[in-house]
Amino acid sequence: MSQLSREEVDDASFIERSRREPEAFAEVFRRHAPDITRYVTRRLGDGVAEDVVAETFLVAFRQRAGYELTRPNARPWLYGIATHLMSRHVRTEVRQLRILERRGVDPVTQSFAERSDERVSAEASRRSLAGALATLPRGHRDALLLVAWGGLTYQEVAEALNVRLGTVRSRVNRARHRLRQELGGINPMATVSEESVHE
Amino acid sequence: MNEMTQLERLRAEIPRPGPADLQAQEDRLLAAIADPPPVRLSRSGERPRAVRRLGLSLAAGMAVVAVAAGILVVAGDTELDAPPVLHVMPVKAETVLKRAAENAGRFPELHPKPGQFLIFESQTMDTVEVNDAGGHSRYLSRSKRKVWLPVEGDSTGGFIEGEGLSPSAYPGWPIPPVARESLGRSGPEKLADFDERVEYLRTDYAYLSRLPTDPAKMYQHLYTGLSHGARADADAWQRVGGMLTEAYLPAAQRAALFRAAAAIPGVTTVGEAVDAAGRTGVAAARTEPALGIREEYIFDRKTYRYLGVRRVVTDAVRAKAPVGSVLTSSALLKVSVADHAPVEQ
Repeated sequence: MSQLSREEVDDASFIERSRREPEAFAEVFRRHAPDITRYVTRRLGDGVAEDVVAETFLVAFRQRAGYELTRPNARPWLYGIATHLMSRHVRTEVRQLRILERRGVDPVTQSFAERSDERVSAEASRRSLAGALATLPRGHRDALLLVAWGGLTYQEVAEALNVRLGTVRSRVNRARHRLRQELGGINPMATVSEESVHE
Repeated sequence: MNEMTQLERLRAEIPRPGPADLQAQEDRLLAAIADPPPVRLSRSGERPRAVRRLGLSLAAGMAVVAVAAGILVVAGDTELDAPPVLHVMPVKAETVLKRAAENAGRFPELHPKPGQFLIFESQTMDTVEVNDAGGHSRYLSRSKRKVWLPVEGDSTGGFIEGEGLSPSAYPGWPIPPVARESLGRSGPEKLADFDERVEYLRTDYAYLSRLPTDPAKMYQHLYTGLSHGARADADAWQRVGGMLTEAYLPAAQRAALFRAAAAIPGVTTVGEAVDAAGRTGVAAARTEPALGIREEYIFDRKTYRYLGVRRVVTDAVRAKAPVGSVLTSSALLKVSVADHAPVEQ
């Protein structure tokens, strides 16, 4: 087979083409929808996730004229839009985490096949983790989960959230610290405050 | 096992969907792409020809075209998903905005440079809905705000310093205790983490100063991506507010904006309106019947300087408040230029 041309590999080419041929945007969806769907479902459950993901790609499509074409990978951009749309559901997210923390039953994973063997061993830590996630300031939770569940690099998180790299580091470090305290049973009284650190 | 490994295992049973699982979603997206709201003029899938466009638009916007000033403009960039719709600026014009346009050049003008910040100081009143363990309540939150916006770029480069003022009662509702919890000063802090406005809704000075100074072209700009009808007119009227609230235009664009806004169908004059700082002026207004609310842009009655905006109830049933209640208001107190952003607290 012939080698792949640039047009066939990077997202920016498809986004650029979709400005003239809107249907070309379908390729952006095919490439990223699986990961983004899983990510959003993990945070909000499949009921809300379907709408959020649909809207993410529609918003992206409408804003494709403003996409910075020098960024070949659209992942940070799409996760950024999804994160923004998810912020409308922050109460749902926190409520579900609290249910998991208090009852040990996770409303988000209920509709998926359970792997109970792993479940039992991790029972206590799951509940602690959920409790810790629920108390994190939103910006910290966003940064932490984009790294842990979205698989984004710190630089990609900075692009997605439109904050400085130093802010991402600071948020993730504080969030991890909080998780460690919770898992270690220290239960600090103070909550982490939302603040950004500039380099 | 460290906390990141444990976190990675949390909810890990949720699967990554395959192409077949997402087919319905993809079809929905493609349908939305192929048939963008608000209207589609051609069902055949081909780009409508100019003549066809004109004919249909005349039918759709008969009232507008009948009194047209004879200037034809095509709104909507066909490169984007905006449908090609003709927006012809009507000749009729609301008086307050016309006067404001005539007076736009009389004020000392600011000339902010790239890298600088525009500072907007204002007082605001907004309706707040509370739905928490204590039940459902409403109140009017009042505050003073000072906003720094970069001369070029979106609001994520901006900063805000706020001061919560004592709340007011929403008509017919007692003030809940939570309303008094966030009083006092805050910031300066980052204004926004996100600003996803599309290009044509930008309101930074650099962008606004590049807008046309011809009223008919400014009218076209206000209707970018909009179709015809009351919904489009309401949106265009809202966009005027977006360009007046915490935004600064050069005098030429400001005059063009006022003339264009004066021609938006449904705009009327309100003889007396009070802004959030208690200043009385005259207003240009447009009623949104679906919401039962009239949105007024208030001007000084002598100098026609822009004072602020307010939203007043016109339909008690739809707005769920007595007719005449003010649900939102703001007052622009001062605009100035600074070389630097404030130091974040």
